[in-house]
Amino acid sequence: MTTIDRTDTATPTERRTRLGDAAVGLARRNFVNLTRLPSAFLPALIMPIVQAVAFSGTFFAIIQIPGFPTDRSINWYMPLAVLMGCGFAGVGLGFATIRDVEGGFHDRLRLTPAPRMSLIVGPMLTATFRAVLATTMVVLVGFLFGARLTHGALGLVPLYVAGLGMAVIGAGWALGLAFVFRDMRGAAIMQLTLFVALFLTEAQTPAFVIEGWLDAVVRVNPFNNILRLARMGWLDPAMTWDDAWGGIVAIMGLSAATIVFARRSLNGLSNR
Amino acid sequence: MTMAEAAPDATDRPGRPTLTPSLGAQTAAMSRRAILALARQPSLVVPSILFPLFFAALGASAFSRAINVPGFPEVDSYLDFALAGSITQGVLFGSTVGATALATDIENGFFDRLLSSPTSRPAIIVGRMAGGMAFGAVQAVVFVVVLLPFGLSIEGGVAGFLALVASATVLALAVGALMATFAIRTGSSEATQGAFPLLFILLFFSSAFFPRETMSGAYATLADLNPISYLVEAQRELVIVGFSASAAIQAVLVPGVLAVAAIALALASLRQRLAAR
Repeated sequence: MTTIDRTDTATPTERRTRLGDAAVGLARRNFVNLTRLPSAFLPALIMPIVQAVAFSGTFFAIIQIPGFPTDRSINWYMPLAVLMGCGFAGVGLGFATIRDVEGGFHDRLRLTPAPRMSLIVGPMLTATFRAVLATTMVVLVGFLFGARLTHGALGLVPLYVAGLGMAVIGAGWALGLAFVFRDMRGAAIMQLTLFVALFLTEAQTPAFVIEGWLDAVVRVNPFNNILRLARMGWLDPAMTWDDAWGGIVAIMGLSAATIVFARRSLNGLSNR
Repeated sequence: MTMAEAAPDATDRPGRPTLTPSLGAQTAAMSRRAILALARQPSLVVPSILFPLFFAALGASAFSRAINVPGFPEVDSYLDFALAGSITQGVLFGSTVGATALATDIENGFFDRLLSSPTSRPAIIVGRMAGGMAFGAVQAVVFVVVLLPFGLSIEGGVAGFLALVASATVLALAVGALMATFAIRTGSSEATQGAFPLLFILLFFSSAFFPRETMSGAYATLADLNPISYLVEAQRELVIVGFSASAAIQAVLVPGVLAVAAIALALASLRQRLAAR
């Protein structure tokens, strides 16, 4: 009887960790893991840099196509590499979550009184940090290889917005798959789907150059809007709201969808 | 006396019946194991077939107008131009599978058991690579068969096609041996897979996807120095120009030289690993 009374008088805030505190705690753990296991993070940082340099070098000649929106191939390919790096920064958290699920640590996390949503928000915070790091590194290397902002420093804003958006989308998608598959089978699907989604866009050439089946896919792929947003500050045409809003809507829509997917998958994992 | 003690005597002294199979038989047995391992785990090898095909399809659509830029060779479609790059890409990425399996053998102790048996060291390395070689040949065939209905034409005909398959097979040996060096040195499948960016760099800093004539600056210099450029260009000549002995020889010789060097490196790494014990 006394036990019941004590429970009734306790307020929810006294019994439960707040979402923000738990999410920051989980993010802090992920940061520590970054420093302890750099081999798991460095490839995700190096690959977009290599990609930006390699693509802009190998496909250098595409800027000779009449009407191409920039005279620097690095300006065209660097934002793509940033989005790839940011997306895979999110996917990397999916890998880490799979390791936690396989090792049983995630079971212990779910037994704590921390809000369930913190198990999604925490990794996402880490993903956004990694995305900022990846974007900054790629941009700095891009400048070394000749990239130039065509509309001043303001052009960095849409790039970072698009990068952070991709990190959230990548993390949400990867966490959802990690909770569904609970083993490394999910890792391959995370990478493959994100990779394909980003390449079925104007990744390599502008829409007016693309012909055939890809043209139809590019028109309906929301990731193309995010890529356009990322490229705004690096291409010759003026930066306008008309080019930006599609990307912002795509980020919001895809972020919401992947977060819902991650949350539902987490609930499914808990109910097993 | 145990078998392990008897084996060296039996092989060292002439005239006595040998208890150890010949080098060829050992290599064949190791090869069979490697090929079966690949056949039984399609999930490991399918991506290295699908990705190059995906990129070829993507390139055919995205770069269809790029074939008109100055420096591009005369081709009917980007697909004809891209075939050589797709084969090389597939083989480069697919060949990591065999090396990763070798690293796994090291991790789980099977490699030590092989070393403690009277097995020839080259048979262990080359046998493991055989799976990759067979897969490289299969990849070349699959790429051609899949892309033919989409407008691919091979001007070199059947002879050109066979030269492409031979080139892919030898390249698989070269890359497999190179990656095996990583596997032997690190003994870690994760570290072996971590060497993947090196292959990415090797591929993209070459003329695999665009001609060297369209590149400029340091990048063009790197592509000039990259042996993959010469391999791909020989393969490409077989596809878009026609069969010639010089192109066929170059398509096989370039990866052949790389294979000899890579096998020597792998064996040296193996010797170092054994000496360190």
